[in-house]
Amino acid sequence: MSQQTPEIYSVELSGTKDIVKTDKGDGKKYRGLKNNCLERKKKNHKEEFQKELHLDDHKLSNRELEKKYGTDIITGLSSTRAAELLARDGPNSLTPPKQTPEIVKFLKQMVGGFSVLLWVGAFLCWIAFGIEYSSNKSASLNNVYLGSVLVLVVIFTGIFAYYQEAKSTNIMSSFKKMIPQQALVIRDSEKKSIPSEQLVVGDIVEVKGGDQIPADIRVLSSQGCRVDNSSLTGESEPQPRSSEFTHENPLETKNICFYSTTCLEGTITGMVINTGDRTIIGHIASLASGVGNEKTPIAIEIEHFVHIVAGVAVSIGILFFIIAVSMNYRVLDSIIFLIGIIVANVPEGLLATVTVTLSLTAKRMAKKNCLVKNLEAVETLGSTSIICSDKTGTLTQNRMTVAHLWFDNQIFVADTSENHSNQVFDQSSRTWASLSKIITLCNRAEFKPGQENVPIMKKAVIGDASETALLKFSEVILGDVMEIRKRNRKVAEIPFNSTNKFQLSIHETDDPHDKRFLMVMKGAPERILEKCSTIMINGEEHPLDESTAKAFHTAYMELGGLGERVLGFCHLYLPAHEFPETYKFDTDAMNFPTSNLCFVGLLSMIDPPRSTVPDAVTKCRSAGIKVIMVTGDHPITAKAIAKSVGIISANSETVEDIARRLSIAVEQVNKWDAKAAVVTGMELKDMSSEQVDEILANYQEIVFARTSPQQKLIIVEGCQRQDAVVAVTGDGVNDSPALKKADIGVAMGIAGSDAAKNAADMVLLDDNFASIVTGVEEGRLIFDNLKKTIAYTLTKNIAELCPFLIYIIVGLPLPIGTITILFIDLGTDIIPSIALAYEKAESDIMNRKPRRKKKDRLVNQPLAVYSYLHIGLMQALGAFLVYFTVYAQEGFLPRSLINLRVEWEKDYVNDLEDSYGQEWTRYQRAYLEWTGYTAFFVGILVQQIADLIIRKTRRNSVFQQGLFRNKVIWVGIASQIVIGLVLSYGLGSVTALSFTMLRAQYWFVAVPHAILIWVYDEVRKLFIRLYPGSWWDKNMYY
Amino acid sequence: MRRQLRSRRAPSFPYSYRYRLDDPDEVNQNYLADEEEEAEEEARVTVVPKSEEEEEEEEKEEEEEEEKEEEEGQGQPTGNAWWQKLQIMNEYLWDPERRMFLARTGLILLVYFFFYASLAAVITLCMYTLFLTISPYIPTFTERVKPPGVMIRPFAHSLNFNFNVSEPDTWQHYVISLNGFLQGYNDSLQEEMNVDCPPGQYFIQDGNEDEDKKACQFKRSFLKNCSGLEDPTFGYSTGQPCILLKMNRVVGFRPELGDPVKVSCKVQRGDENDIRSISYYPESASFDLRYYPYYGKLTHVNYTSPLVAMHFTDVVKNQAVPVQCQLKGKGIINDVINDRFVGRVIFTLNIET
Repeated sequence: MSQQTPEIYSVELSGTKDIVKTDKGDGKKYRGLKNNCLERKKKNHKEEFQKELHLDDHKLSNRELEKKYGTDIITGLSSTRAAELLARDGPNSLTPPKQTPEIVKFLKQMVGGFSVLLWVGAFLCWIAFGIEYSSNKSASLNNVYLGSVLVLVVIFTGIFAYYQEAKSTNIMSSFKKMIPQQALVIRDSEKKSIPSEQLVVGDIVEVKGGDQIPADIRVLSSQGCRVDNSSLTGESEPQPRSSEFTHENPLETKNICFYSTTCLEGTITGMVINTGDRTIIGHIASLASGVGNEKTPIAIEIEHFVHIVAGVAVSIGILFFIIAVSMNYRVLDSIIFLIGIIVANVPEGLLATVTVTLSLTAKRMAKKNCLVKNLEAVETLGSTSIICSDKTGTLTQNRMTVAHLWFDNQIFVADTSENHSNQVFDQSSRTWASLSKIITLCNRAEFKPGQENVPIMKKAVIGDASETALLKFSEVILGDVMEIRKRNRKVAEIPFNSTNKFQLSIHETDDPHDKRFLMVMKGAPERILEKCSTIMINGEEHPLDESTAKAFHTAYMELGGLGERVLGFCHLYLPAHEFPETYKFDTDAMNFPTSNLCFVGLLSMIDPPRSTVPDAVTKCRSAGIKVIMVTGDHPITAKAIAKSVGIISANSETVEDIARRLSIAVEQVNKWDAKAAVVTGMELKDMSSEQVDEILANYQEIVFARTSPQQKLIIVEGCQRQDAVVAVTGDGVNDSPALKKADIGVAMGIAGSDAAKNAADMVLLDDNFASIVTGVEEGRLIFDNLKKTIAYTLTKNIAELCPFLIYIIVGLPLPIGTITILFIDLGTDIIPSIALAYEKAESDIMNRKPRRKKKDRLVNQPLAVYSYLHIGLMQALGAFLVYFTVYAQEGFLPRSLINLRVEWEKDYVNDLEDSYGQEWTRYQRAYLEWTGYTAFFVGILVQQIADLIIRKTRRNSVFQQGLFRNKVIWVGIASQIVIGLVLSYGLGSVTALSFTMLRAQYWFVAVPHAILIWVYDEVRKLFIRLYPGSWWDKNMYY
Repeated sequence: MRRQLRSRRAPSFPYSYRYRLDDPDEVNQNYLADEEEEAEEEARVTVVPKSEEEEEEEEKEEEEEEEKEEEEGQGQPTGNAWWQKLQIMNEYLWDPERRMFLARTGLILLVYFFFYASLAAVITLCMYTLFLTISPYIPTFTERVKPPGVMIRPFAHSLNFNFNVSEPDTWQHYVISLNGFLQGYNDSLQEEMNVDCPPGQYFIQDGNEDEDKKACQFKRSFLKNCSGLEDPTFGYSTGQPCILLKMNRVVGFRPELGDPVKVSCKVQRGDENDIRSISYYPESASFDLRYYPYYGKLTHVNYTSPLVAMHFTDVVKNQAVPVQCQLKGKGIINDVINDRFVGRVIFTLNIET
């Protein structure tokens, strides 16, 4: 990955090479994207690069096109030719991102983490057996069993982790199911409906309003067509499309429609010029797959932890191997010691536990509408320090909504909340009556049929965004709009077009006595005002004079300054004598007046922020997370939304604001005085990466507007250079590279495109930014709880390791067997360590700063030291006490055990004398040894209960946290005891497991030690709370 | 959170000049292992003017200061990180500027010393309590060592008796082993140390468990032909080897009254007639009851384990004969599958001529 990224943006960063390329126009927002396409092509497919460079289909005439693609505009391709092309180019669909083959994923689980160590251990076991067998044919099979058990453990934990991963990935696959699209194509002079995957270059297709564009299309003819390019550019404005060649840049010209954008209205006939991965969207998608996934912070942490533990295991193992060899142990025995040390040191069950813990949290988050695709991403949100949020759809509702009205010389505020329920402005004025009539009638949008029971705001509408907004607005306030339209029959209409910049319709009135026609008009405010001579104030027409015009302009500027799209409305009652009922209106000849109208009011619309967002942004702030807005939209709109959701806080100013306040030029302002910054894509393009870093580091509140997909990547990279963990939210295809590049990509579940969802690590099912806050909270909690889990698990490793060391150095009969260790690691300890994941937070985790990458580690020095050298050692002592008690009561006093090992393990010594002069056969000794294992096991088990309780908290007293608040802990303790009892008393007779039935009293020998551990840890926590910042705090708080 | 308390060092630190790490070149080199950073962050306290008494404390603070610098230096990893790590390690161990060895660890060592000292005290206390509950004379439980195991002499790492009658070198070591083993059974010694107690009944000695107990005589001469007194080669020179069988001592073990434990040997697998005759000494082929019970090695000092000698007077030569000798008697178990030495012993005789 690291090799690929530089060349992807090299052009963008150098910023010179591209100027000579095709783009001489103002297609700045596409620049990065296009260059990238070119770059990629250049590298990968030389010929295609040529073709791309000469993408001139928009310049060609129809005839030239026919020639180029060997097709015919009227008859289309022949089926045979189409089949040939299909065979040559492949289906018209995006190649899904390369999935890691399942077997590779599985094998990764098999060799990842500690597995390697265990494999080594297993092979050493077999080698040891091999050596033994070659010299002595009756060698015991113990080593073979042990090796096999180790391999089983690896395979078992591997399968388990794989299963967990697969389960969480499966949730996602439901998203990938797409309904196959149909396309209307002309082939063999016939109109056919075929699955759009079968489209080939040269096909003539017809697309109508509401359809998705099935491929990159050169428009041949169109009727009132407008497309929504938002999935490509992030612009929510509909773009007109026609057959004219309007721009050199293929991305700007009107006669090309892009794959996966939507045709909002009208119809187009066009020729397919690119299919599948060769479409623009295809290039962006492949750009996304070219960006490697960053390693998740938790993966880094776990790796770090594995390194620590493996390092300890291997170094102690080798150290004692050398010691053993130099103590004249046989090399074979030394190898066995090495295996024992490795097994004792490696927390076999831990990685599986971590997986379970993460998937538990993932489940919990899914309930709160955060769907996690990659388990490790669960924690990433918790460590996030910068969120780069897309505006449209994430922060906003992604629908145009009427925000303000201006009539009677007053600005009224409309309710923009999600359900519009609370419209409080004055509706008594007669001006409003007229205005509402215009809004209702001068509107071509309609509800789709069959949605009677759907709330108004959720109804699907045919029509563009602003008309939809107006339709819903009037439906909410006035009731059944379609009924009103029916009563006011439409007799003529001029739809909106970009040259007129207005829309006009003529209606009969619903007053049966009024025979006049009503002409209603809406459009760009200045255009509408030009056509007016009067203005309606309080229901009466007043001549439009200087002062009212000024009032209009003030209102217009004010609303425009809020980043809202403003429309003007006017009407005219056509005199009945000139326009009798039978009058034939001709919209082409315009046989009706379009001037001297009566201006009624202004209405402004915006894509309003979601109501939960401001609160969520505040929460992010207090959690130390910087929220940056990155959008393809206009700076003014972006800034307005940023202000309303708190991304730019109420009292902070941008450089421009300061300049305006002080009435000085922008250049004179010290740019670091400002707290906030609005940076456009154009400015960004000219910046070096140092300048980007400077902006990111110095401004607290940043909005990036008019950015291209490429620039989103640059921003994310800039953030990552600040050592920040970056979350990116987005929904469009254009966001997918950034989603992939981010430490955690968050896609929108409802509005999100499949490309975005594929690239993301997490999907917000309710598209709500506030869900991210939940994710952050859960992520931080899981990090804290993982610390506890790991501390808990590491502790007993010392208690498992010490026996081996003592065994080698002092020569005691082996206190605990390798198999017994595995029973602790994979048996009694599993449920308790998972139970710690249910622990509640100790303090308000949303009020602290995000953890610093690579500094606030999951496993830090105090944790390791405290677990290994404090609690672990105490545990070992306690367990040894049980061991010594058992041996002493059976006849071997501790003194006699020293250096007994050699005699003890000699198979032919069947009359070994103990402290009382009794003589033991080998098997009797072995049985006693197993009793010792069981005793040691019980000793560890009892103290692990205390360990579990102390690990509930790291700073607070366990009693402050509530001893019984986390019920799962008690389930864990119960499971520990039950498993222990079953092993000792249920399976005590199975010799292979080397457990024996232990006298009941031995279960209580370690209890005082357990209590000591608890007390010691309470003292530790007390001192930490009493003396924050002290030496104790620094070294004992993990 | 605690971390937030940490602030950057005030520029007016009185002793900042002493930092060689202020040298930018050095800063880069300070590349500290991750694990060590955690301990080094601290809430910066206000600087107190330097004074004699605080010299020591300041030293410490300085130490921390330095490490913070090191941590900051970590931002720019450079080429030969390993070499730098090595340097840091070196400085950590021996600081040439302040001529201190493991200075930072001084306090830590002290704390750990006390911690481990108290742990040692705790474990000592525990062991002491353990010894209080355990009698040095009689084991608390004996169920693991019961039923008693069986061993034979001579024994040299192997239960296969391979020897050639005509080559003394092949059996000489058996003779030496037996001789050595029987030294403790010499009649003179036994008569001097032990009492001659009445046969056929337990030799029960009441009294406190810490009182010394008397032991019964088991004289070497009891073994007759296998005592090595008449035939110093224990029959090995004639192809009629003596093998002594000994029952493992178990404190308090008593065979059923009136039914002393007997020994009987036979061919384990194969032709029963491979062994045509065995003589047992004592002739009863049993362990007399008077040798039981055993009171433990502390009080029953001169206890001599009773023996039964098997004299294989007529065994098939020049082939391996597997022999199984079993204890027989009430309450004796001799068929534990896993333990082939409880109540029985299996060995092979391969006598070549």
